[in-house]
Amino acid sequence: MTPARIALLVAALMPAALLAQTGTAAPDWTTLQAETMQHYQAVLRIDTRNPPGNETVLVEYLKQVLDKEGIPSQIVGSDPKRSNLVARLKGNGSKRPLLIMGHSDTVTTDDAKWKFPPLSATRDGGYVYGRGTVDDKDNLTAALMTMLLLKRLNVPLARDVIFVSEAGEEGSSGIGIGYLVRDQFPLIDAEYCIAEGGGVVRIGGEVKYATVQTLEKIPRGIELVSRGISGHGSVPLKSNAIVHLAAAVARVGEWRPEVRFNETTGSYFRKLAAVSPPEVAKIYRDVLSSDPKVQRAADDWLLENEPRHSSMLRTSVSPNIFNGGYRSNVIPSEAKATLDVRALPDEDPAKFLEQVKRVVNDPAVEVRFTGQNERPATAPPRLDSDVYKALEAAGTRVYNSITLPTMSTGATDMAQLRAKGVQCYGIGSATDFEDPPKGFGAHSDQERILESELHRFVRYNWEVVSAVAGAK
Amino acid sequence: MIVKGLGAWGWGLAVLRLTLAGAGGWGRAVALAVFAASRLIVAQAPPDWKALEDEMLRHYQAVLRLDTTNPPGNERIAVEYLKQVLDAAGVPNQIFALDANRPNLVARLKGSGKKRPLLVMGHTDTVTVDAAKWQHSPFSATREGGYVYARGAVDDKDNLAAALMTMLLVKRHAVPLDRDVIFLAESGEEGNSNFGIQYMVAQHYPEIDAEFCFAEGGGVTRIGGEPKFATVQATEKIPRGIELVAKGISGHGSVPLPSNAIVHLASAVAKIGQWRPDVRLNETTGTYFRRLASIAPPDTAAKYRDVLSADPKVRAAADDWLFEHEPQHSSMLRTSVSPNIFAGGYRSNVIPSEAKATLDVRMLPDEDPAKFLAEVARIINDSAVEARFGAQNTRPPGVAARADSEPFKAIEAANRRIYNVPTLPTMSTFATDMAQLRARGMQCYGIGPAVDLEDGPKGFGMHSDQERLLESELYRFMRFTYEVVVELGGVR
Repeated sequence: MTPARIALLVAALMPAALLAQTGTAAPDWTTLQAETMQHYQAVLRIDTRNPPGNETVLVEYLKQVLDKEGIPSQIVGSDPKRSNLVARLKGNGSKRPLLIMGHSDTVTTDDAKWKFPPLSATRDGGYVYGRGTVDDKDNLTAALMTMLLLKRLNVPLARDVIFVSEAGEEGSSGIGIGYLVRDQFPLIDAEYCIAEGGGVVRIGGEVKYATVQTLEKIPRGIELVSRGISGHGSVPLKSNAIVHLAAAVARVGEWRPEVRFNETTGSYFRKLAAVSPPEVAKIYRDVLSSDPKVQRAADDWLLENEPRHSSMLRTSVSPNIFNGGYRSNVIPSEAKATLDVRALPDEDPAKFLEQVKRVVNDPAVEVRFTGQNERPATAPPRLDSDVYKALEAAGTRVYNSITLPTMSTGATDMAQLRAKGVQCYGIGSATDFEDPPKGFGAHSDQERILESELHRFVRYNWEVVSAVAGAK
Repeated sequence: MIVKGLGAWGWGLAVLRLTLAGAGGWGRAVALAVFAASRLIVAQAPPDWKALEDEMLRHYQAVLRLDTTNPPGNERIAVEYLKQVLDAAGVPNQIFALDANRPNLVARLKGSGKKRPLLVMGHTDTVTVDAAKWQHSPFSATREGGYVYARGAVDDKDNLAAALMTMLLVKRHAVPLDRDVIFLAESGEEGNSNFGIQYMVAQHYPEIDAEFCFAEGGGVTRIGGEPKFATVQATEKIPRGIELVAKGISGHGSVPLPSNAIVHLASAVAKIGQWRPDVRLNETTGTYFRRLASIAPPDTAAKYRDVLSADPKVRAAADDWLFEHEPQHSSMLRTSVSPNIFAGGYRSNVIPSEAKATLDVRMLPDEDPAKFLAEVARIINDSAVEARFGAQNTRPPGVAARADSEPFKAIEAANRRIYNVPTLPTMSTFATDMAQLRARGMQCYGIGPAVDLEDGPKGFGMHSDQERLLESELYRFMRFTYEVVVELGGVR
């Protein structure tokens, strides 16, 4: 048999397994690929860059798809241009609901830097390129497809399955999850929720492990403002605000706050060491070492080679904006930089701010919190729950991979739900470990996903949701 | 453009205290430097200066209240005002424009033709404003505490208004002239001289061709409220913008990357900000510091002599002192570098893939640009940061104006008569529209009103957010301009 025929045979066998599990007809994954791609590209091509967001355009698309399938849904929001969508498939009520979420907005783009236009959803070399491909229109599409399939296959449910497409996740959650939790909580109240925040790690093209986000860092913006004397650029001044701020940002950029583990990250690195090749495993063990020199060397290696792991070790600081001056021959009287700070859940903000001031060490530079977009710190969910077990089982079945609980360095809309007692777990599609350092990651100028991994993620989603919500 | 009053930040507070304490250093020094009063130049009955103050202030405030911030400039509104005033006075004038919104005005009062013309200039545009930072609205021309506050107050609507008044008075008093006196109000001085002086020199040179010219670039320095010395700009540094571009990997701000473009660029700018290029003096600046030392109080004089020293340690100590206390003098010692713009990033949680900074570089007239750029790259020492010349606005090097000429002597005499101060030839750290004229062989001299040495460091200088001029000094400068023009252009 040709490899293609083997693939067909395998595909034909898979539904049987599902049939046994759910008692219903199972999806035909191969034929569903075109439908997945159609929705995925459609949502990628809708401009929901935030600001301004304009997520209503996208949720109208979702509503029309859901309507056609006969799935009840409603559009709710506090700003008519920035709506959220809530759809619900009823269960028999024997268990409390399961919520699956995907946010409809994306970060903005620096268009000139993109090889493929960021809203083109161009397919090239097995990838789809576009803003939102891995943040978060992959989760959004997978959740949508799961809803369509549950309905289409008439899967009997023990729990309601609620699908939320929320606006404003990228910096304006007040109109998205904030609004829903505050004003519409009964619509989305659930025992469990699944959203972005985890993923499956490929290294060298091979799946190595899956992560489920159970904890997240807390974003805390810090602004540095330097003030000096303004004047003509032909006469350099010692008080030059740009120079003072540059020196401050250079020092902060060199600085690495101290390494500190919590239960999740400690167990994450230990488990990771257990499944990693020897040389890398040694790094993960070294970083847990009580010998500062050993730890420091591992830390250096991680910053250079695995920056995401480096960020998990500490409250991280990334200077991302620097603006000062408006004319080449005028020394400005002020310059401002913004530091993206991701605090460990147990960080003391006031103390940390003091540390930043000490590193900056310049009375001409003011250091302060921006105050914007803060999320509550919350306790991690249980690792012995139905959902976590279903995630582990699907990780094994779909990816043939172990699952590690992890703390995400990015904030998610789960923070607000966890604060209300919903047990939340972050999942995501498989991406190449090598992609972000090469500039293909989330928020980058070449954000992309492998088509094959998009399709695999839809199946993973389906398996988890049908296992957790399906009537056994 | 310039920082007027050359020494502009010339004297430190120590000097100031010494002077105020009446140590006498200044008085004696000035007396030694000042020669016997020159003969009175003006044959006609002199104008009644007191009576002219209202008229002067009216024109000054009128042009300050016209928003000619560049970009976009829109100097047309200022030219229309000047034209209407000149027309009403019967002074013939014409408009020349490459862009209808950015015209230049040329007015001419005819002389006997015995001598070649004298050109008096003022530019109509100003730099832009950061309006939120201004206590008084930048186009209000608010009078307060004896000052007028506005963008352009000392750059260059003071010279513009003084030149206008000079034309009106020469006409009004029917002063007989041996030279034509030409008044040029040019646009685009602040960064787009292609609309202004460059256009006039390239397309309409016969309209402005002259033996001598006066423009902004010099001035009188007051310390503790007293005029101490005057400067005349005879040569100038050459502006060459350098851009630094850092490139790194973009990504999510929750994961710091070692390649962060903002951090690399910040380190580069911090290094450049710490760096002071080599001290190198030329004939003008050497003479300037020597003369300044001869009239300065002893401790400051020692700094000016030390900075000329062949001993690197002595020189470095004086250099440090000047950078701290008299940054204008520090800039005169070297090709200077001021990082003035830094732009990178567009969202707090996105690491940008690029960041850019602009360095305002003012080269000594003999600097080798390519070598200097290589030096900048060596200081930065980071392959992720590219250093390159910006495309904008350079000026041609020209020949320094002579200090033994008729106009220089007229300026010296007027400074003695009106301010009772000696005159020093100097090199301005900023560029002026005289560069293009000097490149054509014109002998050009930069002049300006008296400003307080203390104003610059306190944030009241040109291009600052509180640009201002003393009303009394505006009036004194009107008289100075008139008397110098009449001395030089009038029938002798």
